[in-house]
Amino acid sequence: MSRAPVQTRTETRPAIVSPYGTIGPFFPFAFVDDANDLTEFEGRKAMGQHIWLAGTVVEEGNVPTGNTLLELWQPDTNGIFRHPLDPRHADADPGFFGFGRARTDRQGFYRFRTVLPGQSREPDGTIRTAHANLTILAIGLTRRLVTTIFFSDQPETADDPVLRCVPQSARPRLFARKDNALAASGLPGYRFDVVLRGAGETPFFVD
Amino acid sequence: MLIHFETEASPGVRQYLPYDDRTQTLRQIKDYPRSFTRVPAQPLIDRPLTLSELTGPTEIERRLPTGNADFSCLVPGGPRALGQFMTVAGRITDEDGAPLAGALIEIWQANASGKYIHEYDSHQAPLDPNFIGQGRFLTDAEGGYQFRTIKPGGYPVGSNDWWWRPPHIHFSIFGMSWMDRFITQIFFPGEPLNEADLLLNGIPDPEARQRVMFEPLPTKVTKTLNILEFRRDFVLRGKSKTPELL
Repeated sequence: MSRAPVQTRTETRPAIVSPYGTIGPFFPFAFVDDANDLTEFEGRKAMGQHIWLAGTVVEEGNVPTGNTLLELWQPDTNGIFRHPLDPRHADADPGFFGFGRARTDRQGFYRFRTVLPGQSREPDGTIRTAHANLTILAIGLTRRLVTTIFFSDQPETADDPVLRCVPQSARPRLFARKDNALAASGLPGYRFDVVLRGAGETPFFVD
Repeated sequence: MLIHFETEASPGVRQYLPYDDRTQTLRQIKDYPRSFTRVPAQPLIDRPLTLSELTGPTEIERRLPTGNADFSCLVPGGPRALGQFMTVAGRITDEDGAPLAGALIEIWQANASGKYIHEYDSHQAPLDPNFIGQGRFLTDAEGGYQFRTIKPGGYPVGSNDWWWRPPHIHFSIFGMSWMDRFITQIFFPGEPLNEADLLLNGIPDPEARQRVMFEPLPTKVTKTLNILEFRRDFVLRGKSKTPELL
């Protein structure tokens, strides 16, 4: 049996990794609803500034993208991740779990209630500008999309190891902006709109 | 891809390489329209992996509560849903073959008539009062999982008659970190609809395609039940150690 020689570069070894698939249209609402509030965990209130983080998801032609699943992962108000890899995790806010889910309605609108994150610190001391991680799953996406949300309280010129990788002209698109129209229940609102494809496209990262 | 800090200094840091496209589903699939309006046109940006990406929710069942793993009836011992009773078992490992214990699995699927319990499912097929078809559970210490259910039916996409989805079950898995969050759908071998399915055949590599197929085990026949048994293992991205430099 003769086969073409297989490339054996470690980075691209023909892996056994299972193939991703689209989430499709029928991810149960019951898996999402009630998971978009990160400001409370097991009966405790999260420390820090509670905010609404909301916006719309649109696709090519500025058409709203309904029925997408958004997942958020972020550190607490002090920039600590609730995870053993964070050297400061013993001091993580017991009222903050750091993970949440939201879905877009037919108008493409989503909304999280969360905490304004603090700067996180790498084990080597490098500071990461305050941010949250966002994953987007939808019909038509056979792989997830991942991006990072920064907040307009921070300068767009911030020296962040991830932001630095984004072309300068596209950096403003990664910033959630304070938006009074989103304020509710005494909490300030931050708008983060996502353009999946087309003019003003949101920068997404290699996954 | 850069790892932002030394692995020696931080034991437990895992290595995540980008998905190898050759083992994955195409990002855009001909005749799958949304893939042309939703997949970004700009190239994806490479960036270092920091704590933020290398961590992720732990004990996620404290946020997303688990239930039982028998979807074939509403309550244990209650009337069974219509359709062919079946079981699925498997194991979740990382790229080193190390088991992922405590991984959260979410399952959702159509009933035997090809109908989902979902506001957006417009298929003219009946719901089954004894079938929910969704649930969550955790892998055990060896990364193993199992659940019981009813074999799902195929169904047309939207109001189209030109694309019928073959029977399949959706899996959503929370692995060790933000990097190995995983979603896929698993198909049944030998289904005629498999031949024409855009999503299944959107995996160009035949070997990779096998990794989204249930492996049939011999059907179990008891005095009261005829049980289809299937197996499906998953390998999530991620390695626990740095490869030796040659």
